Amino acid sequence: MITGTAVTKTFRQRGNVLGRREVPALRGVDFTIGKGGAVSFIGESGCGKTTLGRIIAGLETYDSGEIVIDGTPMSGLSHRRRQPYFRRIQLIHQDPYSALNPTRTIHQTLEAPLRLRARQAGRPRSWGDVRAEELLALVGLDPGYVLPRYPHQLSGGMRQRVVIARALTMDPEMLVADEAVSMIDVSLRLGVLALLKDLRERLGVSVLFITHDIATARYIGDGGELYVIYRGQVVERGATETIINEPVHPYTQSLLSATPVLHGLERPGPERVVPTEALDEGKADAGCLFARRCPFSTSRCEAETPVLGHDGGTGQLHACFHPRRRSVVPLETA
Amino acid sequence: METAPGVRIRDLTVVYNTPMGELPAVSGVDLTLTPGTITGVVGESGSGKSTLALSLLNAVQPPGRISGGSVEIDGLGDVVRLRGEELRQARGRKVGYVFQAAQNSLNPLKTIGKQLLDLGRSHDVADPRALVRDAKDLLARMGLDGARVLDSHQHELSGGMRQRVGIMLALVLNAKVVVLDEPTTALDMITQATILRIIREVHEERALTTLVITHDVGAVAEVADALAVMYGGRIVEHGPIADVLGAPAHPYTQGLIRAIPRLSGDISQARALPGRPPTLGTLPAAGCVFRERCALRMEICETVEPAPVTCGGRTVACHAAGHSLAPVKRKEYV
Repeated sequence: MITGTAVTKTFRQRGNVLGRREVPALRGVDFTIGKGGAVSFIGESGCGKTTLGRIIAGLETYDSGEIVIDGTPMSGLSHRRRQPYFRRIQLIHQDPYSALNPTRTIHQTLEAPLRLRARQAGRPRSWGDVRAEELLALVGLDPGYVLPRYPHQLSGGMRQRVVIARALTMDPEMLVADEAVSMIDVSLRLGVLALLKDLRERLGVSVLFITHDIATARYIGDGGELYVIYRGQVVERGATETIINEPVHPYTQSLLSATPVLHGLERPGPERVVPTEALDEGKADAGCLFARRCPFSTSRCEAETPVLGHDGGTGQLHACFHPRRRSVVPLETA
Repeated sequence: METAPGVRIRDLTVVYNTPMGELPAVSGVDLTLTPGTITGVVGESGSGKSTLALSLLNAVQPPGRISGGSVEIDGLGDVVRLRGEELRQARGRKVGYVFQAAQNSLNPLKTIGKQLLDLGRSHDVADPRALVRDAKDLLARMGLDGARVLDSHQHELSGGMRQRVGIMLALVLNAKVVVLDEPTTALDMITQATILRIIREVHEERALTTLVITHDVGAVAEVADALAVMYGGRIVEHGPIADVLGAPAHPYTQGLIRAIPRLSGDISQARALPGRPPTLGTLPAAGCVFRERCALRMEICETVEPAPVTCGGRTVACHAAGHSLAPVKRKEYV
């Protein structure tokens, strides 16, 4: 189990004569990812979802707040002491084309981490070869076909499965999948999503799924939780199906409204929400960060800052002064 | 107002020269773009959709070449036969092209305004001031501050703004046929929705004939009037969008639609297509190109390529799609 409390991160760009520019990437985020759970971070590019994923995977530092892994706070530990914890959390990159070394066969790619594992566990070297075949079979690939091949000889879906197999060599407790299907052909995406679901069910691996495409979050299994992140803040959080079908925050509603409608199969939700202006990070903020783009904002939204809570008796957590359910997602036509 | 031109692609074959000989990326494609409509072409990587789009400009680069067929555009004639200066003038003036990743097709060293004037000069525009005025109007139409954008370098613009600049450059010389190659890839959901709306509105206001090439059925479902589905260099299904999505006739279209992660619908019904998309090297020389992944595969599919059959506005190329078998001519690639 991994929990975060009030995690903040600000990127500082090197200054010029006019002074430094500070970009707040995370403005105090709380999260909990249980064992075998599925948590999805949703938001536009630049919202901080990838930064948060990298912090959770131990690849990025944070400025303040606390991250606790299995009861151990990370802030008190040296970099060296943290390593064994973060090794159990493996990152799956967006781009399976650049995540694999093109000059190495899949066998060579899997061999290196497995040799390390064998040495740590005092196992013979041949264990690595057996394990490589096991892992490839686990991710739905034919080891005999894949092992001798180079990445360019495989399809995008197969490559992403190899990347997942490589992450599994470390026996992770959690996989952080950052836009893991966005570069894969549409006909194969569900295969990779089904694999992540399967790994949760069979191995109890928890999955942190980071994406801008909310629909994909439905497919990584039951009991999933969705975090909608806007400019470094969680604005709505709850069970995946609740957030998709009964969103109350206007930002979540805008994201869902932007999902294309498959005419012929679906009709548009009747209350689609369109932001009143485009995202402009350069402008000063007071009150609710979404107020300027929000079609429903009031003077209170510009003066006060809403905090995450159950105001209005909603099942999910939200940070909005005027929560209201709207029917925004496409409806299936009979 | 000038009426929109029609485009008729007939028996178009484009081959690429490879170590294995000349292989067809597009083979024997017939496609008619009705004047004033938006046609979407969807296909996975390697389906030949980008090659088809480039053929509209007769801009297939070596090692590829158009080896047969014709692309007739009203008021321009057969583009495949155009050469030299005629062809250069047609590109931009008659056919506008918004390149895949417009963000990468802009010159990073010049302001957008300079690039606009370069475009004007290369097309002998008599009145550069009028050109700048038209560009500003177009940008304003798309919700941007024209003067500011023309003074900007590409790195000062967001992805959605660059995409709009790409559309402006394609339309500013008053082209009436516009090709958009993956116009929303790498854009966020909300930006994607904005760009799609702009494409639709500008298309209607300027009476264009538009072709949108994409791998994302959702993106095209939102804007297109007609949908053509490509697989292995062939158009396997083509018809009005609501018909094709609502009642797909080709097994590939059916599988593709079932494989799209969606916000509505039963997730237990969704599944990935088995197998992998073909590449130039793995395309079968005879028979149906989809048979390896097809659940309805029959004996005839091994040897005879299904010919496209049109019935009630819908064209389908499949032996199993419930139409009588038509005699098929074997295509030779010389």
